[in-house]
Amino acid sequence: MRVFLTTPWIPAEWIRAHQLDPCALWCAETFPCHPSPLGAGVCLFAEWVVRFAEAQPDAALIFASACDQLRRGFDTATLHGRHRAFLFNLPATQTPAAKQIYRSELERLGRCLCELGGRAPTPESLRCEMLKAAKARRRLLDAAPSSPARAYAGALAQFHRDGVFSAPPAVAPGNQVPLAIVGGPFCAPHWPLLDVIENAGGRVVLNATETGERSLFSANEPDSAGGNPFDALADASFNAIADAFQRPNTPLYSWLKPRLLARNVRGLVLWHFTGCDLWRAEAPTLRELTGLPVLLLEAGEGPGVSQRQVNRVEAFLETLK
Amino acid sequence: MNNRPRKLTLSEWDSRYSQLQREGLSEPSYGGPLRRHLIEQKDFRLEQLRFDNSPAALRLWNFLLTENDRLRQARANGDKIVGTMKDLGTVPVMAYSLPRVRAFYPDGAWWTPCLMECSDKLLQQAEAMGIDASFCPVRAMLPAFQNGEHFPRPDLLVCSAGAVCDDFSAIAQRLERLGHSILWWEMPRRRPPAAGEISCPLPGHLAAPRIQVDAVQAELRRVSRALGELAGKSLDDARLSEGIRAANQVRRLLDALRKTVYCARAAPLPALEMLVAEMLAIHFCSDRQESLAVLDGLLAEAQARVRRDEGVVGPEAVRVFWVNPVADLRAMNLLEDLGGRLCGSDFMITHALDLIPEETPPLQALACAALSDPMVGPTIERAARIARECQAGRAEAVVISRIPGASHCAREGEIIRSCLRQQIGLPAIELEIPPLSDAMLPAIGSRLQALIETAKSRRTT
Repeated sequence: MRVFLTTPWIPAEWIRAHQLDPCALWCAETFPCHPSPLGAGVCLFAEWVVRFAEAQPDAALIFASACDQLRRGFDTATLHGRHRAFLFNLPATQTPAAKQIYRSELERLGRCLCELGGRAPTPESLRCEMLKAAKARRRLLDAAPSSPARAYAGALAQFHRDGVFSAPPAVAPGNQVPLAIVGGPFCAPHWPLLDVIENAGGRVVLNATETGERSLFSANEPDSAGGNPFDALADASFNAIADAFQRPNTPLYSWLKPRLLARNVRGLVLWHFTGCDLWRAEAPTLRELTGLPVLLLEAGEGPGVSQRQVNRVEAFLETLK
Repeated sequence: MNNRPRKLTLSEWDSRYSQLQREGLSEPSYGGPLRRHLIEQKDFRLEQLRFDNSPAALRLWNFLLTENDRLRQARANGDKIVGTMKDLGTVPVMAYSLPRVRAFYPDGAWWTPCLMECSDKLLQQAEAMGIDASFCPVRAMLPAFQNGEHFPRPDLLVCSAGAVCDDFSAIAQRLERLGHSILWWEMPRRRPPAAGEISCPLPGHLAAPRIQVDAVQAELRRVSRALGELAGKSLDDARLSEGIRAANQVRRLLDALRKTVYCARAAPLPALEMLVAEMLAIHFCSDRQESLAVLDGLLAEAQARVRRDEGVVGPEAVRVFWVNPVADLRAMNLLEDLGGRLCGSDFMITHALDLIPEETPPLQALACAALSDPMVGPTIERAARIARECQAGRAEAVVISRIPGASHCAREGEIIRSCLRQQIGLPAIELEIPPLSDAMLPAIGSRLQALIETAKSRRTT
C-alpha cells in the first residue's frame, strides 16, 4: 500500500520496514491537485494536502502536527470521512518529554501501519532499511554542493518518492551569484523558479527548503554490530529536525549557518506558502542571524513562476551583482 | 435616577457614578469613574461602548482596566511577575500557588489596539518589527514588550509550544529573538486514546491517552521548578493543591454566573460584561483574591435581576452562542443592538472554566486541565462541546467570530459549522471582527441581522 507523508521529519524507512510503500506527498505524481479557490487565511500547501486526501481515498496519508494549518487540515479531511489518515504528533521542543512523544508516535505509527496491512519489522529488517536510506542520504548530501539546483531537486524528489539515489550531473563552478532557498515545501511545479534564478544570474547552491537538503536528516549509519535499531532511528530522526516550527528555533539556524558559510551564499530566498505564519515570521530573524539580504517569495496558486516573482528575483539579483 | 438594568454610554456613566457616590458607593483601591481610563490611558474605545449600569459592572471594568497599574504596583512591592503565554489557564494556577508571585498573559495586549483605538500604534510597530497584518492582532504584544509602556517586563516568561496557534508561536519566537528569554514547554496535540492505550479522563468530557498526560506533566514539572526558583520556594504538592482549590473557587463562581446569565429568560447582564468576566478565569486579572470579589458582585447582581425578572435585553432577544473572542469589544454591544443576546460562549478558554480535578495528584490534574484546551485537540471535539452547550443554553443561532490573521480561524469555522449542522441543525455564521470594526459595522451588522432574522423565523410560537 502507498503511504503518503506530508513531512520529511517522519523517517520513510520506518514505513518501508513495515513492508509498505512510503512516498513523500509533495513528490506524488498527482500532487498538487487542480488549483481551487482558497479560503481566507488558508495555507495553500495545507489545502493541497486536504484535496489530495479527498482525491486519493484508498491511500494512507500521514499528516504531521507541525503547524496549525495541517493539524486542522487533518480535521477537515477526517470530517469528510477520510479513513487511513494518521496525525503524527511532531513535537515543537527538544525536551526529554518531546523526545519521548516523538518516539511513542513512531511506535503508534508502527501499530497503525500493521493495521493497514504492514508487518512489524524485525530488528534486522529495520536495520537493513535504515542502512539503505542512510546510504542514499549520504550520497545525496555529498552531491549537494556540486549539483545544478534543478537536477538536485529532482534527485531529492526521487529519494523521497522511491527511497533511492540517482546521481544528478555535476555542474562546473561559474560566476553566478550563490543563493540559498530557505522555507517550506518546494514542490515540482515550483522548480521553474530555479531556472528563473539562473537566467537572472544567480544559482541556488543550497536548497534549504523543507523538501530540500535540510530534509536529509542525520546520515549516520546505524550500528550494524548491535544496539536497538529502533532507538537509533528514533534518536537520529528526532535530533535531526531543523525547522521553523521548533521552539526555540535554534536547530534551524544551527543547521543553516555553517552551510551558508561553506557555500559562500550571498543572498537568501525565503520561500513560503500563502497563510504560512511560521515561515513568514522568520524573515527578520534570517536577516539578523545570517547578515544576508532576504527576498520573500510566496508560492502562487498555480504551477510555474509568475511575472511578479520573475521581476522580484531579477531585481534581487541585480542588487547582489 | 433609573436603577433598572440598562446599558450606559461613558457619558451616562459619569452621572451614574456621581449618583452612586452620593448614595455611598464603596469601592476597592482601584475604583473610580470609568472616564479616567480614557483620560489617563487613552482608552478611547470606551466612548464607543455601552456598559452595564450596575456597581458590580463598574468594579469589573475598573478591575480590568487597572491591571497594568496593579502589576506595576505589585512589582514595586517586591512581588515577582510571570508572563505566561498561550496556555490560557494552566500556568497561572501554578504561579498563584506561590506567595508573592503574580502571573499575567501578555497575550492580553491583543485588546490594546482596540481599547486605545490604535492610538498606541502597536500594530504599526509590530509591522516594522517584521510581523505584519497577516498575523493575528496578538502581534501587538511584541512592541508592547519592547516599549515597556503597557505591562511590566516579566521576571520569567513561559510559553507553551506545539499544538498552539502558529501566529502566536511565531510572534513569541520573534520575542525571544529580541532578547526576552522564554521557557518553552511542549503541548502535544490532544488525541483520543487508541485501543489498548490507558485512557485518562479530562475535564470537559474529554479523554487523552496516559502517555500524553505524562508528557505534559513532565513539562509542567519543569515549569514548576522554574517558578519555584523565581519565588525562592519550592512549588510542592501541598502548595499546588491549595492553588488548585483557590482557582476552582473562581471557576465555580464563573460557572454559577454563566448559568445564571445564559439560562435566564431575559439576559440579566450584557454580553460584553460576560466576555470580560469569563476572561478573569485565565489569570484572575493579576489578582486572584480580588477576582473572587468582582465575580461575587456580578453574580449577586445577576441573581437579583433574575429574581426581579429584569434584564438588559428583553426575553424576546434571539439566543446566540458565541464562538471565539472578538478583537473589537464593540461587537458584543452590536449583537444586543440587533436583537440578540448571549446564551453561551466558547471564547477559546473553556478549559479555564472547567474545574481542575482535586482528587488526583496536583501536577497530573493540571496536565489534564491543560490538555483539555479546546484549541489543542481535534476541532470536532470542540464542536461537540459547543453543540452540547448550545442545547443546554437553548441557543437559536451560533456566531463564529474570526480573528483576523489567526491561523486556526482559516479552517475551524467551517468544521464547527458543519458539525453543528449535522448535530443540532442550528443556523451559524462566521464573522471577521477586526480590532477596530467601525468601518465594517454595516457589513457585520447586516450579517448578524440576517442570522437573527433567520433564527426568529424558525421559532414555532
